Amino acid sequence: MTRYLLRRLPSALVVLAVASFGIFALVRLVPGDPVSTLAGPDASPEARAAIRADLGLDQPLLGQYLTWLGQLARLDLGTSYRIGGQVKDLVADGAVNTIVLTVTALLLAVVVALVSSVLAVVLDNRWVNAALSFGNTLAIALPTFVTGLVLILLFAVVLPVLPAGGTPPDGFIARPDIAAQYLLLPAVCLALGAGAALTRFLTEALRTELRQPYVTTARALGISRRRIVLTQALRNALPSTVTVLGIQFGTLLGGAVLVEAIFTWPGLGGLIEEAISGRDYPLVQVLLLLSVAVFVAVQLLTDIVHAWLDPRVRIGGAS
Amino acid sequence: MSESLIDVAAPEGAAPRPDDEPDQRRRPGARSALRRGKGLAGVLLIGVVVALGLLAPLLAPYGPTEQIPGANLVGPSGAHWLGTDEVNRDVYSRTLYGIRTDLVVVFLAVPIGAVIGILVGLVSSWWTFTDVIAQRVFDLVLAFPTLILAIALTAFVGPGLRTVFFVIIAVELPVFGRLTRTSVRTVREMPYVEAAHVVGAGSWWQLRRHVLPNSWEPLLVQLAVSMSVAVFIEGAMSFLGLGVRPPHPSLGSLIRDGVRNMYDAPFFAVGPLALVVALVLGLLLVSQALAEARRS
Amino acid sequence: MSHPVLEVRDLAISFAHPRPAVRSVSVTVDEGEVVALVGESGSGKSMTARAVIGLLPDGAVATGSVRLRGEEVLGLPEEEILRYRGRRVAMVFQEPQTALNPVRTVGWQLAEALRAHGGARGRAARERAVELLREVEIPDPEERLDFYPHQLSGGQKQRVVLALALANEPELLLADEPTTALDVTVQAEILALLRRIRDRTGTSIVIITHNMGVVAHLADRVVVLRQGEVVEEADTRALFARPRHPYTRQLLAAVPRLPEVDDRVLELLAEPEPEGVAHEMATPALEYDDVHVHFGSRTRGRVLPAVDGVTLRLETGQVLGLVGESGSGKTTLGRLAAGLVPLAGGRVRVAGTDITQARGRRRAALCRRLAFVHQDPEASLDPRFTVGEAIREPLDVHGVGTRRARDQRVVELLDAVRLPASFARRRPRELSGGQRQRVALARALTLEPRLLIADEPTSALDVSVQAEVLELFADLQRRLGFACIVISHDLAVVNAVADRVAVLRAGRVVESGPAARVFGDPAHEYTRRLLDAVPVPDPTVRDATGPALREHIAS
Repeated sequence: MTRYLLRRLPSALVVLAVASFGIFALVRLVPGDPVSTLAGPDASPEARAAIRADLGLDQPLLGQYLTWLGQLARLDLGTSYRIGGQVKDLVADGAVNTIVLTVTALLLAVVVALVSSVLAVVLDNRWVNAALSFGNTLAIALPTFVTGLVLILLFAVVLPVLPAGGTPPDGFIARPDIAAQYLLLPAVCLALGAGAALTRFLTEALRTELRQPYVTTARALGISRRRIVLTQALRNALPSTVTVLGIQFGTLLGGAVLVEAIFTWPGLGGLIEEAISGRDYPLVQVLLLLSVAVFVAVQLLTDIVHAWLDPRVRIGGAS
Repeated sequence: MSESLIDVAAPEGAAPRPDDEPDQRRRPGARSALRRGKGLAGVLLIGVVVALGLLAPLLAPYGPTEQIPGANLVGPSGAHWLGTDEVNRDVYSRTLYGIRTDLVVVFLAVPIGAVIGILVGLVSSWWTFTDVIAQRVFDLVLAFPTLILAIALTAFVGPGLRTVFFVIIAVELPVFGRLTRTSVRTVREMPYVEAAHVVGAGSWWQLRRHVLPNSWEPLLVQLAVSMSVAVFIEGAMSFLGLGVRPPHPSLGSLIRDGVRNMYDAPFFAVGPLALVVALVLGLLLVSQALAEARRS
Repeated sequence: MSHPVLEVRDLAISFAHPRPAVRSVSVTVDEGEVVALVGESGSGKSMTARAVIGLLPDGAVATGSVRLRGEEVLGLPEEEILRYRGRRVAMVFQEPQTALNPVRTVGWQLAEALRAHGGARGRAARERAVELLREVEIPDPEERLDFYPHQLSGGQKQRVVLALALANEPELLLADEPTTALDVTVQAEILALLRRIRDRTGTSIVIITHNMGVVAHLADRVVVLRQGEVVEEADTRALFARPRHPYTRQLLAAVPRLPEVDDRVLELLAEPEPEGVAHEMATPALEYDDVHVHFGSRTRGRVLPAVDGVTLRLETGQVLGLVGESGSGKTTLGRLAAGLVPLAGGRVRVAGTDITQARGRRRAALCRRLAFVHQDPEASLDPRFTVGEAIREPLDVHGVGTRRARDQRVVELLDAVRLPASFARRRPRELSGGQRQRVALARALTLEPRLLIADEPTSALDVSVQAEVLELFADLQRRLGFACIVISHDLAVVNAVADRVAVLRAGRVVESGPAARVFGDPAHEYTRRLLDAVPVPDPTVRDATGPALREHIAS
C-alpha cells in the first residue's frame, strides 16, 4: 500500500509543478498590461517603471516564478492589484462559501445516487426502472443554467418560498435553518447533474456485479438478493464508484462557477471572473493554481481510496 | 469416423447441434439503433433544431440584429411571437439565428477537436515516447474543470465565438485522445490482430484493416456525448459573458438576456431554453441508443 | 426413509427460444449416492441442476416435478426456495477463480453462508468456519480465514467454494464441472476430496461433467444426456463395459486415450532413437536454443521467468507436443516461435533463420513459412470479416496471385477443412465453435506453412467435435507434411497427434522424447505424476489409482 502511494505521489507532484509554471507563464503572456491598468493611460514613464519594479515585473520570468513559489510556500499570497486587500483573505472568504456549496452538493449527489441505484436494483421493477431512467436522462440533459433558472422561477418568483440568491446574512453557523434555505436551491442545482451521472454509473455497476459468478455462488447458498446487493455487490462496485466520484467532483468545481453566478453566491467563481477581467495577476494565479491543486489532490485521494478498497491492490500478489 | 457428429454439409435450417449452435442474431448496428426507440427520438429532436437553424432566414420575420422602431419590450403577440427585447429586436428571429451559432459549435468545433484527439491518440498508442508526453499533457488539461479552463482561456484571447471554439477543442482533444488510446489498445490485444501480425501484416495494415474498424464505436458514442457537452459549454460561457459578443445571438447569450429581464419579461428565455434542452436531450438519447446497441 | 434424496420427473425447461433447453429429464438420487450427469454442451445437464436448486435464468419456464425427499420444490416462490437453497441442496460451480467475492475474506463469506440459514454467528461462526476449512483439507485454516480469494491458489479456491456449499450440511451437493478449470493434478485432489466427503458425511452428490474420466473416477451411476433428453442411464461399471445407446458409444469412442504401459511401448523402446542422424541431416523446422523469457517489467521491480533455459528442436514434418500445467511456460514457448513474445535470452530459429534478427523482406518470408492457431477460435477471427476474407487475408498481406486466384484458393482451403464453399460469405458469429476452429485452421494453411503452432487448438470444443478436429488436423498434417507444435494441457490430445513430446514445468523441460515412450514409460517423476493424475475413463482402474492419489496430496 505504501509502495502504491509512493508510486502515485510523484506524478501528482509533477502535474502540479508543470501546472503552476504553466499558469504563471500564461498569466504573464496575456495581452493587456496590469501596469497601464493600474497607472492609468496618462502616467509618466517613471511612474510606470516604479509600479513595474514594485510588482517585480522587471525581473526575468523564471526569477519571478521562483520568487512566487517561495511566497506561496510561506503562504504569502501577496496583495490584489485591483480589488485591494490581501489575496489570502479574499481567497479565504470565497473559499468558505464555495466549499460549503460544493460539499453540500456532493453529499446530496452521493445520497441520491446510493438510494436510487440500490432501489432500482433491489426492486428490479419495470416501472421503477423506467421512471428512474427517465428522470436520470432529464437531469443529465438539463444544463445547469437551465435548471438554475427554472428553480429560481418556481421557488423564488412564482412561489416565493426560498431566496433567489445570495448567502445567508448571519453566516452558516448562527442560524442553520436560514442557512439551509439559502443553500437549498444552489446546492440542488449543482448536485443534479453529478447526482444523475453517479446514479447512472452506480446502477450499471451494480447490475454488472449481479451478473458475476460470485453472486450466483451466494444465491446458491440461500442468501437473499437484497442482502447480496447490500453486503456484496455494493462493496464490489465501490472502488470504481469512488473513481467516478473524483471525476464528478471536478465537474462540480466547474459547475460551481456557473451556479455561483446564477444565484449570486459570493464564492471563488465570482472572484476568478472578477480577477481575470481586472487582470489581477496575484489573484488569478492563486485561484487557478488552487483549482488545479484541489483537483490533483482529489484525484490522488480517489486513487488511494480505490486502492485501499480493493484488497487485490492493498494486499497484492497471489500466493 | 463414419457417423459424423457434426454434419457440416447439412443443409441450412436443419436442426443445429445445440450448443455448438451458431449465433444467428444479426448484430444491431449503429444505423438501426437510430431508427427506433430512443435513437429515433434523439434524431428527431436534433433534426427539428437543426432544421429551424438552417431555415432561419426563411422562417424569421426580422434580421437577428434588426431594430424595429417602436417595439420596445413588447410581450408575445401575432407580430412578435416571443416579444421584443430592450433594444427593439424581435426575440423569435434572434432565437432562430442563435441556433446557427450553436450548430457551428456542435458540428464544427467538436469534430475538429475529435479528429485531432483521435490522431494524437492513434500516434500515442503506437509509440511509447509520444504516449508518455501526451498522457501528461492530457492529465494537465483535464486537471482544470472545464469552466475554469474556459475562463482562463478567455483571459488569454478575450471573449468571443473563437474562444468558445478553443475551449471546446481544448476540452475534447484529450477526451478523444484518451478514448482512442484505450480502445485501440484493447483491440490491439485481440487475438485476431495478433493473428494478422503473425501472418506478416505490418502496423499500418493492422491499424487500417482491424484496429480502426473495430474501435470506432465507442468514439461515435463519445462524439454524441461531446456534442451535448459543447451545447452546454457554449451556453455556460455565453451566460457568463465569455461567449459570443453582442449583438450576435447564440442560445446561451439569449438565455443571459432572458435572465436579465426575468422579472419583466419571463417569456424571453423560453425559446432558447427549450431549444437548448431539445438539442442536448436529442444528442444524449442518440448517445445512449448507440451505447446500448454496442453493448448488446 | 422411503423417499429418495432427489427425484426429478419429466423435467422440461424452455425459453422464448424455439428450442427447449431440457425436453424430458428424469433422475433419481439416493442417499449417499454419486450420480453423474454426462453430456456435451447443450445437453441440458447444467439447466437440470439449476432447476433443482431454483436458479434458472430469467425467462426460463420449467415443467414437470422436482422432489427433495418427496417434497415438491419446482415452482416454489423465491422466499420458500431461499429456505432450502444452500440448506438442503448446495451447488459448486465450474470456475473457482470468479466464484468467490474478491473483496471479502474467506471467513466473512463462510460466516455469511452460515448466517443465511440462522446458523452460528460471531465467535461460534468463526469456529465453525475453521472446522469447514479443515473438512475441505485446507492447511492452516485459522490463518486462511483472513485471506482474500486472490491470495489462494485455484485448487484452494475450489476447496473454499466446497466449504461454502457444505456450510449448512446439505443432503445433496450439485457439482457443475467442478474440476474442468483446474490443472490435472489439482483435479485429482478435488475428486478424491469429493469422494471422501461423501464417505464421511453421507451427502449425495450429483456431478455434472463432460469428462468421462471424471465420471469413471467418481460416479456410482451415470445418466447420459443429449439435447435435453436422457439417452441412457446405468451403473457406472455397466455403462463403461457395455454402453447400449449409440450416442454413449460415440461419446466413449471420442475420448482420446493415453497409451497403456503394455501397448507396444516396450518394442518401441527396444529400438534406438534415430536422433543423432537427424541432427546432422537437415536444418530443423524450429530450434529453441537455451531460451529465456521474462514476465513483469523491471521498472516495477519484479521479474518472473516464464521460460527458463529451454533447448528443443523440431525436425521438418514432425509434430512436437508441449504439455504441462498452467504456469509451465508451454504457451509462452509457442508464442515465442510466432514472434509474439520478446526473447530475454538464447535463440529461436525457424528453418535456420533467427526470428529476432529477421526484418523487412526476411521477416515477410519467415511469416509465410509460419502459422499460428489460437486457443479461442472465436477471438482469433475478426468479427467484421467474412470467413472468406479471413482466410484470404494472408494472401492479401503478401500480395499473392490475382484476386480470382485468391478466391479460388479460399474455396480449396474450405474444402480441405471439409466446409462447403458457401461458408466463405458467412461471418464468424454465424458459425459453431467447431466450424470456427476449422476456419482458423484453413486460414493457417493459406500460405502453405512449413511450421504450424497450435495453442490448445481443441480446448474450447466438445469431445466429439474435438475428436473430429484432431482427426482432420492429423490428416492434413500427413498430407501437407508441415512441422507442427501442439500445445495442450490435455495429455491425451497431445498423444493423439504428436510424434514427440516435451513435458514442461515452471519454465523448464522436465522430459522429452517420442510420445509413446514418454507417455508409456515416463522417465521423470513429474511426468509420472501428471499421467497418474489424469482420470482414466475406466471405472475398473479407480481403486488402483486411489492410493497413488492420496500420496500426492500428502506431498
